[in-house]
Amino acid sequence: MALSKNPGGHRGMQESMYSVIALVFILVACVELCDAAAAIDVYRLIQYDMSGSAYGSRFAALNHHAASLHFPPGADLSRAVLIIPLRELNITFVREYINQKKPLGGLLFLLPDIFSFENGGNKQVHEKEQLKNLLAELEQLLIHANIPYPVYFAFENDEIDTVLADIKKNDAIGQPATATTGGYKLVIPTPEPKKVASPTITNIQGWLSGLKADGDTNQLPTIAIVASYDTFGAAPPLSVGSDSNGSGVVALLEIARLFSLLYSNPKTRGRYNLLFGLTSGGPYNYNGTQKWLRSFDQRLRESIDYAICLNSIGSWDNELWIHVSKPPENAYIKQIFEGFSNVAEEMDIKVGLKHKKINISNPRVAWEHEQFSRLRVTAATLSEISTAPELLQGTGGLYDSRQFVNETAITRGVKLVAESLARHIYGHQGKNVQIFADGGSLAVNPAYIQSWLDLLSQTPRVAPFLSKNDPFVMALKKELADHTDEVNMQHEVLEGVFTFYDSTSARLNIYQVASVTFDLLLLLVLGSYLIVLFSFLVITTRGLDDLISLFRRPPSRKVKTA
Amino acid sequence: MTMFHFFNCAILTFGPHAVYYSATPLSEYDTLGTSVKAALVYLGTALVKLVCLATFLKVSENDGFDPYQELLKAVIGFIDVAGLYFALTQLTHRNISQNHKFQAVGLGWAFADSVLHRLAPLWVGARGLEFTWDFILQGLEANANLVLSISLAALGSLMWLRKNKPKTLIPIIYACAGIVATMPSITSYLRRGLGWHFPKVVVFELFTSLSMAFISWQLFSACQRPS
Repeated sequence: MALSKNPGGHRGMQESMYSVIALVFILVACVELCDAAAAIDVYRLIQYDMSGSAYGSRFAALNHHAASLHFPPGADLSRAVLIIPLRELNITFVREYINQKKPLGGLLFLLPDIFSFENGGNKQVHEKEQLKNLLAELEQLLIHANIPYPVYFAFENDEIDTVLADIKKNDAIGQPATATTGGYKLVIPTPEPKKVASPTITNIQGWLSGLKADGDTNQLPTIAIVASYDTFGAAPPLSVGSDSNGSGVVALLEIARLFSLLYSNPKTRGRYNLLFGLTSGGPYNYNGTQKWLRSFDQRLRESIDYAICLNSIGSWDNELWIHVSKPPENAYIKQIFEGFSNVAEEMDIKVGLKHKKINISNPRVAWEHEQFSRLRVTAATLSEISTAPELLQGTGGLYDSRQFVNETAITRGVKLVAESLARHIYGHQGKNVQIFADGGSLAVNPAYIQSWLDLLSQTPRVAPFLSKNDPFVMALKKELADHTDEVNMQHEVLEGVFTFYDSTSARLNIYQVASVTFDLLLLLVLGSYLIVLFSFLVITTRGLDDLISLFRRPPSRKVKTA
Repeated sequence: MTMFHFFNCAILTFGPHAVYYSATPLSEYDTLGTSVKAALVYLGTALVKLVCLATFLKVSENDGFDPYQELLKAVIGFIDVAGLYFALTQLTHRNISQNHKFQAVGLGWAFADSVLHRLAPLWVGARGLEFTWDFILQGLEANANLVLSISLAALGSLMWLRKNKPKTLIPIIYACAGIVATMPSITSYLRRGLGWHFPKVVVFELFTSLSMAFISWQLFSACQRPS
């Protein structure tokens, strides 16, 4: 009987032991949850390898003291994080630091609110343009450098402004002094960044069939309208690319909507098929477009009359450019250009033609139409940019935010492209016919453009960080499916030239810490307080002799004689 | 570094108790048992107070000063006094003089108070990276509390254990005991009602505890003279 009782008792005791141990662990872990002076979201500079060379910021974890630009000259910054607001940025200073590989614990750039979606009010326009150009320059510097310490971006807010003001005050007087007037520590506890395994690029295509006359067995000609939807920037979670190429995507969707209205009625269906393509991999020499075209059936490729690629049509005033790679004397190019010019003239827009020859041996593909041209398909790119961008330039980075895009520009661009296409499809070239007249049922819808533009300006779209079934990609697919007959998705793996690393955003904790000297000083003070208290108590309760006798051992004991 | 800070604050909060025990004749007469018993009585009192507070007190949304609630809290605070009475009179102590009994009881009482109210915040908060002055102020408060507890125990022993007291001093004794017993309510009024900051409140506590200690010492020695 006694034997059977004990195991239960033992088990009960063990369980209570375990719960006590668990409680101790919870208490120990509680220290991690203590609050900091400030905690903000920060976004890391992109880290990638291109053809084996390393670029971007190679580290993610941060645990250093903060310093501002007012640091005393000659100070050792190898264990300090420089906090630089964009407004006070001196680009030559940063360039010097990076190019001369000076040791630094980390960099934190503070971006003004206008670059974030929620808070961009209408500040002075002059300041906006200056900041935009400065940020573009900074971005180009950072993404082409190999930086052996963490670089982060954050938006300015009240908390970090007060912290920075404090840091500046301390740096001005020499060093962080006591506990209450300085010594901020920035901690970002993230694991080491790992490679993104097989980054996928997803191309979405929508097919709108034209009207086949009875008895006509030939393939109808096709017109393709293409825009790349992904971006690349210094901070992937902030690379929303409103203009490059959010404007192109929005324009494509609106054109698809307008033509789907026309094509829904067999009486107004044109004799051309329309192929809408939303391609990915744009910043990487239009890799996605190439793969998409290679996947085409030979007959389909041959049936494409011409392709119009849309790239950045969101912030122009009166001038657009059509970029081609076939010489302007080519009959097809002439036809396209004349069609656009006629409509542009009516709309009071100036359209220029720019010719850039393709060099087959050069892997650099500056415009999307070049991928078409390499496969001998006539194509042109419509853009507000007049010169071909360099690799990883103008791909929708930090500075490309909603503030700088104008919906009316996109609306006019859509009207231009739609009218030109419609006149070609329905054979009204040269005639002054307004198919998409304002106020009619086929008018370009500014609300549609605005809502899609707002959505795109809030969605970062860097291809390696977009999964196959990303909700945004699915949304694009669904939207195209609404406007076209048939939608297909093509998933490919991004070429091996580029490798990306994860750990793109984190939470920064800012702690106000006391220096070691303060702790030692406090220990000294407390030690002396306790000693004084001890002596005081001994003296008042036992007498001074007792205190002295504590320190002196009597050498011999006198034997008391009775 | 932060463990260092925790260590500093811990010795500020709990050091004086140990120093008091070892410096005064309490250690010679080995009154540890009394202190431990007093600490246990404090724990029991705290539990009873908790239950009463939970039952009778309303949870207020804002952090302002509600006179009715504070009055209720003060009344419940007198359970403290009852607990101290129990510890002084009802527990069986070894044969130790009056003088040492109240000191031991006060010490145990204050130590239990510090551990219960200040150890957990210290453990969780002082070990983090973020530095605040709060824990040092809390330690100073613990010191003031020690002095207050000992004076309350002294006055308590005068009230309940000493039979022959000079008639004139009795009302003063009760008045002082009343003031010391309602100290928590006074400090919370200062903090919430008048909006004093923590450092100011701690300075006030230290000052009043020292003056109360002085007064009770005078009263105690005055009562000892006739015998």
